[in-house]
This record gives sequence, C-alpha cells and structure tokens, in this order.
Amino acid sequence: MADATPAVEICGLVKDFKTSFRREMLRAVAGVSIRIEAGEVYGLIGPNGSGKSTTMKALLGLVAPTAGHCAIFGQDSLVVDSRRDVGFLPENPYFYKHLSGAETLRFYGKLCGMRGRVLEQRVSELLALVDLESARDRRLGGYSKGMLQRIGLAQALVQDPRLLILDEPTAGVDPIGSRQIRDLIFKLRERGITVFLCSHLLEQVQEVCDRVGIIFQGKMVKEGRLEDLIAIEDQTEIILRDASPELIARITALVASTPGTELVRSGKPRTTLERLFLRETLRDEP
Amino acid sequence: MSQHPDSPARSNSGSHCGRVWVIAMHAFTQLVRMKVFYFLAVFAVIAIGSNFFDLPQHTGPEVSGIAVLSSIKSWSLGTMTLFSVVLGIVATALLLPKDVEDRTLYTILAKPVPRVDYLAGKLLGVLLLVFVSLALMDVLMSAVLQIRSSMILNQQMDFAQGRGWSAAEIASLRGDILSQGANASLQGAVFAVFLRASIMASLALLISTFSSSTLFTSIISFLIYFIGHFQADARAIFLESGAAGTGPVTRAISLVVSLVLPDFQLFNVIDAVIEGQAMPLLILAKLTAIGLFYAVFYVIASWFIFAEKEF
Repeated sequence: MADATPAVEICGLVKDFKTSFRREMLRAVAGVSIRIEAGEVYGLIGPNGSGKSTTMKALLGLVAPTAGHCAIFGQDSLVVDSRRDVGFLPENPYFYKHLSGAETLRFYGKLCGMRGRVLEQRVSELLALVDLESARDRRLGGYSKGMLQRIGLAQALVQDPRLLILDEPTAGVDPIGSRQIRDLIFKLRERGITVFLCSHLLEQVQEVCDRVGIIFQGKMVKEGRLEDLIAIEDQTEIILRDASPELIARITALVASTPGTELVRSGKPRTTLERLFLRETLRDEP
Repeated sequence: MSQHPDSPARSNSGSHCGRVWVIAMHAFTQLVRMKVFYFLAVFAVIAIGSNFFDLPQHTGPEVSGIAVLSSIKSWSLGTMTLFSVVLGIVATALLLPKDVEDRTLYTILAKPVPRVDYLAGKLLGVLLLVFVSLALMDVLMSAVLQIRSSMILNQQMDFAQGRGWSAAEIASLRGDILSQGANASLQGAVFAVFLRASIMASLALLISTFSSSTLFTSIISFLIYFIGHFQADARAIFLESGAAGTGPVTRAISLVVSLVLPDFQLFNVIDAVIEGQAMPLLILAKLTAIGLFYAVFYVIASWFIFAEKEF
C-alpha cells in the first residue's frame, strides 16, 4: 500500500516578525496552507517580500511559526529528526570558500552521519550529477555563480533526501546553468524525489512543476495543478507541420462556416528567447 | 546515480559527538586556512629576542642568569596570554556572524544538526586552534629555555667552583637555575593560559549568540575580561555589603559580577611560576575545574539563546 503521508504539510501558517525600531509586528505569512504529496514538484511563486522564503524557513525549523504548524513526512518541522529527509538550497548561498567542492560535500555528508567509502562514493556520484568533477579539488572561492548553485544542489542531495527545498535555485545563473538545474530537477522527479521550489522565473516553474501556488502579501491567492491553472478552457490549439497555404485556407473556411466557433489566431508559433540562446550557444559544443 | 533507500544517512544521522567533532574540525580548518598561524613567527621573534633584552643588574653575578630565564618566561607567557585570549575571543566572535551573513548556517541547520551541536562544535574548533597554537609556542619557549638554562648552568657552575663554593651551595644554585627552566610547573602555567583563553572563548560564544557583529562581541568580551580581574573584589563587596552600608545597586552589580564571571586573579599563579615557584597540582586541578565549569556554563547559556534564535 502506498504511503499516504504527505511530503510537506503546512497548516494555517502565520509568522509575525518584530520590526527593528517600532515594536509593531510585521505579518510575513498570514494563514498559508500547503500540502505536497510525495513525488510531486511544487512551485511557490510570488513577488519579493510575499512570504515565500519565510514559509520555506518555517518548514525547515529555521523560524518558529507564530501560529499553525509545518510537518515533513508527518514529523513536526521543529524536531531536528524531521530534517533527515530534507535537502535545502537557500537563495544566493555562499558556502565555505576555503573548502574544495569535494570537501564541501564531505562536510555536509559527515553532518548527516555518513562516513568512509559510502561517503566517498556519494561525493563522486554527486559531483558527476552536477557536472563538477573537473572542479572537484578547486576551492569554492574560485567557483562561478552557476557552479556554486550546482554544488549547493549537490550538498542538498548528499544524504539522499526524499524532499528537496530550493529557494530561487536559478537566481543569478546564466541560461545554460539554469537549464542544467532544470534538467537536474527533471532527473530528481523521475527518481521520485519531492521538490518544493520557489522561483521568479515563471517559465521554468511552468516547465518543471506539477502544482503551483501563488502567494501574495503573505496569503495564498491561487493554488492547483499547473495544467488546470493555465489552461484556457474555451480554446483549442492545433499545431501543424508543413501545412500548405491551401490547407490553411480550407481549415479557415471550415471554421468560418461553423456557427458558434471563432478563429482567434493563426500563424507561426514562436520559440522562446531562452531556447534560441541555448541553441545558438550550445551549437559549437562537442 | 544510484539511490540509497536504506543508506546509513537515512536510518542514522550520526551521534552528537560525531557531529560536534565534524563541526570542530571544520572550524579549525577554516581558521588555519585564514593563516592565523602566521603569528607564531611573531612569537618566535619575541621568545628568541627576550634572550637579549638588557636587564638592569641589581644583583650579584651569581643570579644574573636566573633573571634572564625569568625574563624569557615572562615575555613568552605574556605573549601566549595575549595571543590565546585575542585568538579565543576574535575567532569565536567571527565564526557565528560569518555563518549567518553567508547563509551557510541555513544549510547546516537544515541538516539533522541540533543547534547545541553546532555551538559546541564551533567552540571546540576554536579551542583546538588555541591549544595547538599554545602547544607550538610552548615547544619553542621550552626549547629556548632549555638551551639558555643549560648555558647558564654551565657558566654558573664554573663560577661557583672557581669561587670554591661548598657542594651544598652549588646544589642550591643548581636547584635555583633548574626551577627557572622548562619544568613541569611551566607546562602547568601554559595549561592555565589555555584554560583562561577557553573561558574567554566560551564567553565570546555566549555574547555572539545575541550580538549582531564581530566587533561588538570582541569589545564586550575584552571588557568582561578586564572586569573579571576584579571579580574577587566584587565578591568581597557583596559579602561585606550588609556591614559596609553598600547601596542596592552596588550590591546587585557585585552579585552579578561575582556569580557570572570567574575570578581571573586565580590565574595569578602563572606569575608565581615565572618567578620560579612550583605550581601545586591541587591549584592546577582547581583551575581546570573552574575552566570546565565556566565553559560548560557559557555553552549552556548560549544554547538557551541560540535555540530560540530565528534566521
């Protein structure tokens, strides 16, 4: 029987912060509830200061909820043991510059109780996964922004967690690095790892997420399956390849002669700027 | 990539001691790679240079060598105290805010790491660094003292025999010189220096849990170090407050100072060792107990504050 315990359960989360000078309370999160089933990729989107990062921090026990509760695979987030099954990549992380890529992964692996051959094997696997084998012994001080994000993702995965929490995983990364991270998320989804991410890059969220929540001023304003949220129910899209002008004319005439149906738009679909960039920049690669 | 559904990481996230040690070794490595050991070169210059400081001669030639040995110890132990206390305070004050600022703390606390393990690990890393630094300085100081004391011993023995001193007088002179050499009491004094730095590092850890900057933590820690030397006076004020008509504010301050801070005057025993006196084991045991007590006390207090801290 499948395990019905959700990977993430946030119930009525409220978080107030004291402002520095005035002792007024600032409500960062106002009654947010999220349930993420095991194996799902969930995207939380919203403008800056809407409460995304605070929600993630509450889920990781880095901040204590003012009201409500958070649980990871059924365990209260404030309990240290709940973090055995979680990997976290914070926004713009700066890891220890004095450590090399392999040393960084060893450090985080040891914190999770891994030792010896198992750890070494895991470090090599992860460096291969994030394509940093060539920078294995280079200190992080010399890593680029994209490499830092990827080593951050590797450290999040070190103990083979069932849940991965990514706060702006592609922030400040170039399109190629961003695509690599997106592909990694696809790989993780194939392996059944639950991913909870927040990002400003809506196109990427749309590409990788099964479900999406939109948070605004600390409140969840829209949530659901991505397909349901973005589908325009009264419209249908047909994309043809190598269609002759005559065929297009016949289809247009057929539509025009059908009562109650209207041709909204026809023309050539456009690629995205990202796809164009990737096609042009990766063309010369072996 | 293979998955490890029953990997050790999943079933067992390691022991407290294991995690503390991992964090301690990491903090140690971090500080070493900040090139803090460069100060050992400065110490070497001081330890060797103290051989040549020209001391005013108020005594006869039979004790002039002893004064040089005392000077080497005084300069070396003074420098050790300065370095160890500065290193203990500044390194501890630096590590915590740096982790918060760089958000590396998030990635550590997002692993199954209890906050007390993190604090204890950081402190242990700093203490390891202070211990290794003091051990290296001790080796250098002992080597300089050993060479110089054997030179002085030969010189003084020739002097005494030339003057026709009796065997008992010569033995007494030999004893005086050896008491100023690199003996067990001197190692005890170095350990006392380490204990004092450990107390200060633990105190800096406590302050850094609620302070927002390295500078604030360092300044307050040094102030407290200074105040700690008056702990005995504060205790006396508190105990005699009824009879002396002391006000309630003075009484409260003296109570807080005498309860929260150790009596740093107990460490004056180091000065006695510089003068050539032996350090009784009982005193060393007492200092060790005090050092341990305050280190544990400050770590527990730090934990109480850090456990509630939000990032």
